[in-house]
Amino acid sequence: MRRLSLSARLGLLFALCTGAVSLIAGTLFDRASEAHFIELDRELLTSRLAGFREVLAGVDSPQALSTRRVALDTELARHPDLGLEVRGLRGEPWLERQPGGEQHSGGMSEATAVRSLDAPLDPQQPDGPQLTLLLDITHHQHFLERMQRLIWLTVGLSALATALLGAWVARSGLRPLRQMTELASRISARSLTERLPEAGAPAELAELIVTFNAMLARLEDAFARLSAFSADIAHELRTPLSNLLTQTQVVLGRPRPLEDYREALHSNLEELQRLAQMVNDMLFLAKADHGLLAPDRHPLRLEKELDAMLEYFAPLAEERGLVLSRHGQATWPADRGMLRRALSNLLDNALRFTPDGGEVRLDLTPFDGGVRLVVANQGTPLDPGALPRLFDRFYRVDPARREGGREHAGLGLAITRSIVLAHGGEIHCESDPGWTRFILRFAETPAPADDLRCASRDH
Amino acid sequence: MKLLIVEDEPKTGQYLRQGLAEAGFGVELACDGLDGEHLALTGDFDLIVLDVMLPGRDGWQVLRAIRAAGLAVPVLFLTARDAVEDRVRGLEHGADDYLVKPFAFAELLARVRTLLRRGQGQTQETALRCAGLQVDLLRRRVERDGKRLDLTAKEFALLELLLRRQGEVLPKSLIASQVWDMNFDSDTNVIEVAIRRLRNKVDDGFAQPLIHTVRGMGYVLEAREA
Repeated sequence: MRRLSLSARLGLLFALCTGAVSLIAGTLFDRASEAHFIELDRELLTSRLAGFREVLAGVDSPQALSTRRVALDTELARHPDLGLEVRGLRGEPWLERQPGGEQHSGGMSEATAVRSLDAPLDPQQPDGPQLTLLLDITHHQHFLERMQRLIWLTVGLSALATALLGAWVARSGLRPLRQMTELASRISARSLTERLPEAGAPAELAELIVTFNAMLARLEDAFARLSAFSADIAHELRTPLSNLLTQTQVVLGRPRPLEDYREALHSNLEELQRLAQMVNDMLFLAKADHGLLAPDRHPLRLEKELDAMLEYFAPLAEERGLVLSRHGQATWPADRGMLRRALSNLLDNALRFTPDGGEVRLDLTPFDGGVRLVVANQGTPLDPGALPRLFDRFYRVDPARREGGREHAGLGLAITRSIVLAHGGEIHCESDPGWTRFILRFAETPAPADDLRCASRDH
Repeated sequence: MKLLIVEDEPKTGQYLRQGLAEAGFGVELACDGLDGEHLALTGDFDLIVLDVMLPGRDGWQVLRAIRAAGLAVPVLFLTARDAVEDRVRGLEHGADDYLVKPFAFAELLARVRTLLRRGQGQTQETALRCAGLQVDLLRRRVERDGKRLDLTAKEFALLELLLRRQGEVLPKSLIASQVWDMNFDSDTNVIEVAIRRLRNKVDDGFAQPLIHTVRGMGYVLEAREA
């Protein structure tokens, strides 16, 4: 079944309401007029009764009645809309006169509607002959019938009119909604920058518009990241691929000593390993995006894991005279392999940006219902604008290193973040002159992002 | 040592066969699941390298048939998709190890040798040696040409691994996994540095270098002819 439009629905409802209201009003008016007519008729009949009683005073038999015939006819002639019946003591009819002077004995014609008033002929003798006054009310009936027709017509017309007016009102009232629909239908991947106008929107729609615009903003952001990611993939793959192509073609271009071939193959191997590593990292991230990272979590003594990581990086640190240290203890359920991978990326990053002889420190702070882990390194502060983008794929702090960065594809921090998220944690970075800190927070109930930011400032 | 490779991608299969043959194994290659299953059940192999995505019967079915026939031959799975990783881990269909494509051949070779060695049952050695280098595993002492070398615990573990598998090229990822329990590929040059530092202690000042870098593949400890 086709759904009715809101305008049609509202129009019909308006029509129904108007119809019902005018029907009730009409019916009440009809009833009231009828009651009013009955009252008028009764008063009229009562006032006429006195005249007839006077004419027929003392009549106690049909014979006595016939003697008053002339006076009676005169009285009836003065009131052509009246009729009269006189009955004896046992109800036997002595006289029947229909309104309008007709004198047939068998009931009344069908077209004639009458109202009657029964009364004893002599008010002093209730058991005496009975008088029935008949009033022709055909014209009243006609009036009432006309009025009822008018009422039905009014009901019908007003319902129709409100239906149309209501539909029109609803349509114009819903115009902002329609505009919103139009705009929404125009929005595609190419036009995510469009926004619904928030100013001038009706109060009921304002919230919806704000929500809708916020959704568009999120979509735009996600889409921009995705586009950038695709472009980056292409770019990142293109450099090593073109190296491979060029080098292989040049080497094969003319005969060479064996050593040159060996050298070319080695060089290709290095490029290919970078490509393979990148593809594997991207598969890992794709898995994370699809929620397929299923950390196999067991309670871990985090200080032991951190010490193992520091031991792993110790040769590297010693070479450059860096001081590595770990402070604090905590136990938290985590997937050991994933945690190590995440920490390895953070430490690799920290070591890379620490000047020779500098310090890298790890801090573990358990708090109520959670653990905070800080990886801090000395070094020049990062550009504040870069902080939120650090965890983006292929993002590198120094743009000069984008092109063919030897070993770092720029996926490490993205992988770290996806691992932290898979563990229900949060990660962000702070940088001030002297120290750059990556702050990981794992809690049973994740804290809102703002709260997180404030809570971490004091470190 | 006889190996069976079940791999439908012709180039991959061919290179695997060549590489493994040159590493000294007898190798047979099957190009689809049915052939592979037939060969696996009838031939007497020491190890099977099995691709998961195969025409005819896929790797899982072949593996099930092998295990159903009561064969305990070690099976090394090759998977193209990372998503299967969980299945390999979780279900433990009876695969002994797996590699996700793309993988390095050196890595495959190292895994193959590990699996074959596992089957033989390791002899409890108390000492390892190569040329003038001697490692006493019980007293954790290292000497070269009678001169005592002072190694850290991790350097000792690294040297022990290289000595136990002397002559084999060990990829960085395998070294990270065996010595530091870091089971993931990473960008860091930690292994490079660790090897360099070990080499400084083991080879510096001696005429014959023992620890060699095989470019793009890994490291090997062997006494090479001058």
